[in-house]
Amino acid sequence: MGNIVKFGALAAVIVFALLLAVVAGDYGPWYFAWLVGTTMIILISVAGAVMFETQLATNQSGRL
Amino acid sequence: MPLIDPNVVDLSRLQFALTALYHFLFVPLTLGLTIMLAAMETVYVVTGKQIYKDMTHFWGKLFGINFAIGVATGLTMEFEFGTNWSMYSHFVGDVFGTPLAIEGLMAFFMESTLVGLMFFGWDRLSKPAHLAVTYLVALGSNLSALWILVANGFMQDPQGASFDPNTMRMQFNDFTALVFSADAQAKFVHTSIAGFVAGAMFVMGISAYYILKGRNREFAARSFRMASVFGLVSTLAVVTLGDALGRLDYLSQPTKIAAIEGLWHTSAPPYAPWLIAALPNDATQSNSFEFGVPYVLTPLVAHSFTTPIPGLIDIEQASVPRVDNGIKAIAALQEYGATHSAESLATFTKYESDMGYGFLAQRYAPEQDVNLITPALLPSIEQQAVRDSIPNVFVTFWSFRVMMALGFFFIAIFAFSAYYSLKNQLEKHPLLLKLCMWSIPLPVLATEFGWVTAEAGRQPWTVFGWLPTFQSASSHNIGYMFFSLAGFALLYSAFIAAELYLMFKFARLGPDQHDAAVHHTPADKSISAPIFAKPGFANKSWE
Amino acid sequence: MEIYIALKVLWAVLLGVLLTGLAVMVGMDMGVGVLLRLVGKTDGERRTMLNIIGPHWDGNQVWFILGGGAIFAAFPTLYATSFSVFYVVMILLLFSMIIRPVAFEYRSKVDAKKWRDTWDWAFLVSGALPMIVYGAAFGNVLEGVGFHFSWTGQYYQDESFLSYLLNPFAVMCGVMSLSLAVYQGGAMLMLRGEEPIYSRARTYARLGAIVAAVIFAVGGVWISHMNGYVFTAPVDPGMAATPLGGPAVAAKIGAWHNNFHAYPVLWLAPAIGFIGMIFGALALQLHMKIVGWWLGVLSWIGTISTVGISMFPFLMPSSTTPAESLTVWNSTGSAYNLGWMTFFAVVFVPAILSYTSWCYYVMRGKVKVETVVNDPHSY
Repeated sequence: MGNIVKFGALAAVIVFALLLAVVAGDYGPWYFAWLVGTTMIILISVAGAVMFETQLATNQSGRL
Repeated sequence: MPLIDPNVVDLSRLQFALTALYHFLFVPLTLGLTIMLAAMETVYVVTGKQIYKDMTHFWGKLFGINFAIGVATGLTMEFEFGTNWSMYSHFVGDVFGTPLAIEGLMAFFMESTLVGLMFFGWDRLSKPAHLAVTYLVALGSNLSALWILVANGFMQDPQGASFDPNTMRMQFNDFTALVFSADAQAKFVHTSIAGFVAGAMFVMGISAYYILKGRNREFAARSFRMASVFGLVSTLAVVTLGDALGRLDYLSQPTKIAAIEGLWHTSAPPYAPWLIAALPNDATQSNSFEFGVPYVLTPLVAHSFTTPIPGLIDIEQASVPRVDNGIKAIAALQEYGATHSAESLATFTKYESDMGYGFLAQRYAPEQDVNLITPALLPSIEQQAVRDSIPNVFVTFWSFRVMMALGFFFIAIFAFSAYYSLKNQLEKHPLLLKLCMWSIPLPVLATEFGWVTAEAGRQPWTVFGWLPTFQSASSHNIGYMFFSLAGFALLYSAFIAAELYLMFKFARLGPDQHDAAVHHTPADKSISAPIFAKPGFANKSWE
Repeated sequence: MEIYIALKVLWAVLLGVLLTGLAVMVGMDMGVGVLLRLVGKTDGERRTMLNIIGPHWDGNQVWFILGGGAIFAAFPTLYATSFSVFYVVMILLLFSMIIRPVAFEYRSKVDAKKWRDTWDWAFLVSGALPMIVYGAAFGNVLEGVGFHFSWTGQYYQDESFLSYLLNPFAVMCGVMSLSLAVYQGGAMLMLRGEEPIYSRARTYARLGAIVAAVIFAVGGVWISHMNGYVFTAPVDPGMAATPLGGPAVAAKIGAWHNNFHAYPVLWLAPAIGFIGMIFGALALQLHMKIVGWWLGVLSWIGTISTVGISMFPFLMPSSTTPAESLTVWNSTGSAYNLGWMTFFAVVFVPAILSYTSWCYYVMRGKVKVETVVNDPHSY
């Protein structure tokens, strides 16, 4: 039951995201760019942090 | 109709400009820091490392200090439309008020309700639930900016409404045209991401301070890494959008773009130079001095090599027929208001699109009544009206240049910072770190100049082409204005003093001291090790 | 046309809902602010009081912002005129509203007696003043305000601001609104506070409810001897929304009771108000905190709907040029705009109510002095 609810919620989020992307893509190219761009900025920044941890791990094992 | 005392109009403008600029000292940080907090907490939830939670906590605390004043001073703007710009509110409230109301319903409520949970809900919510709250706060603050800039977009390029002579105001008739107006779109993205840059610089600058002092190194190095990468990508996006906005202004507000470029006479493509520096003289309508790079202006503004860019003097003279038509429109409108005759309505409809220029002329008409303009008076009134139809060039020209120079400076500083952070060589470059520290206020400064460019360049209109600024204000007694200005000066100075005092206090205290009591779990083992154990590196200190 | 009339009426009702929501949520926080120095004797107690509303004040404040935005969009001419006519009091209200958030955020961040005392006084002033202004605005509007319009729609003021400040009826309405806020704030402190905050808050909350009930009764009698406004020519409710060239209006003693005489069932509204205030005081006496809080909400609903019903369809009558009075028929937005606003209200108001309740649910429970003092994140 719990899984079904989770899948349902996830599906709703995905449908909403697709709908938003379609509307924004059709009428508001810059809004679309903001959605994609902000997501990208967050992900790149998170990737920077994850890379930091990797560098740290490598360094501690003496290979950096 | 008596003219509103020009001093009252000027003081109302001064008050709005000062309170808006003041409010905007805090907004960019809110827009950017909420997104950065979401990014930091994401790393915490994904990796489970305590230090990212500490980061979210600490930067969240500084965000909170800033957010409170941002909320408080934002209320001022909303009040001022009613208290100081009653004619404006009456004239466009039907279309301009709507995005403000939606902002409250959709965005501000969410942001402000959930910000309480974000600060106080750490122990009461599961990790993913708290992360979702943080994301919703970030989304809320940016959605808030969206609706405000949709409203602002209407002032710049009125879309989605038309003038209704029965109610004497602009009435809303197209929701999608309003929301998807090109100006609103580009301005939202430009402003929101400019906020990201401000947030990134703030985090990067304070982290640089810790690295320079050699304290909280694990904390600072990680914060610096995230902020520098975040800032670099954001700055590139801001500059791109700045170009898009310039192009839109070229299409919809030729007076603004000509003022930005200090262009008095229509340019001769392709040679036309782009002015790096100039001394525009608004009285003589010429540049006392100018220095530019040839062949740059046309492709930069028009994205073409052959299109001439209209200059201000030529735009003025081209507006003379619009003033004539506008006078007819205002006269017909006044008659329609009194008689509701079909004839006057037909005349008005014919000249409706030049109505705003009629208001500009009305100011110089005897007793502010366009019916009293005689053919002998007309030529001088036409010239006075068109002289009023362009913005102040000096202010627009220079505020744009300061903003732009800062933008390119940010690209450079974020590029170097990200590069050395990725190579983990920050500590070898104390000068860069110092520069980061001193650059903290610059992105906020750049957004302030951006606001001045956009709004000073919009003059003399509050609604571009429809309603002049001098006619938009409330008809107050000048004493009222002194009362409110004095109050704002007093309160706002006290606030900024308190804010800076607390910001410095908590930034100096750092994450350890203030968070010591909330560490429920012992810190991660991995972070107690020196970050980079190259010989002689880790122990280096620049204190 | 019928749809336009329905939308106008709907938004008049929503205006009442917003003003009530604002009074309940903001009023509660203001009440706590006013009681801060009276109920909280030590710094720890005061901090506890602030933290009781700490996670919620920010969201509550948005009711105020939403109220402003919604009036701007749905009643542009009313917004433009009322905010300008009441300039001095509006600016004072604004100053208090911007001091409060700063006071919350900054008060407990520095551990110095002088600093905290200053902010405590700021809480008192910025809590009492807005509630007095809020009530006084109702009072002034009931009495009629001096203004007229030029042919372009620009308003002109015909009265000095002093007449809005020094006006006995308006001041009385202000005191009533302040009393209700104290009642509501006190009930909230009882809900989430422990001794000694609990008992002191109880005293003030009951006092607030009783004072409000007395003033409400006096006000009802006063209004029957005061000028109300009536249309003296046929009205087309679907008319174009402009105050210019509308039907004639006259001022008449006791006219604000007309709607009640026409539809006696409407007497329910003031009855609800009295029930809220009197039974509210009783409930708090009997330690029924939750019932007491909700009866406070009922008091506001009763009071504001009484004012709304007695004035309907007037919103802000003009005492100097009655024909240019602002009414539900002549000062709304266009049908298109009201339609979109309705759509957004239907979608988002339930969402707002649900996440606000969720927030209160998550942060439920008593706030203890020790927890507050030991948590570096608390206010």
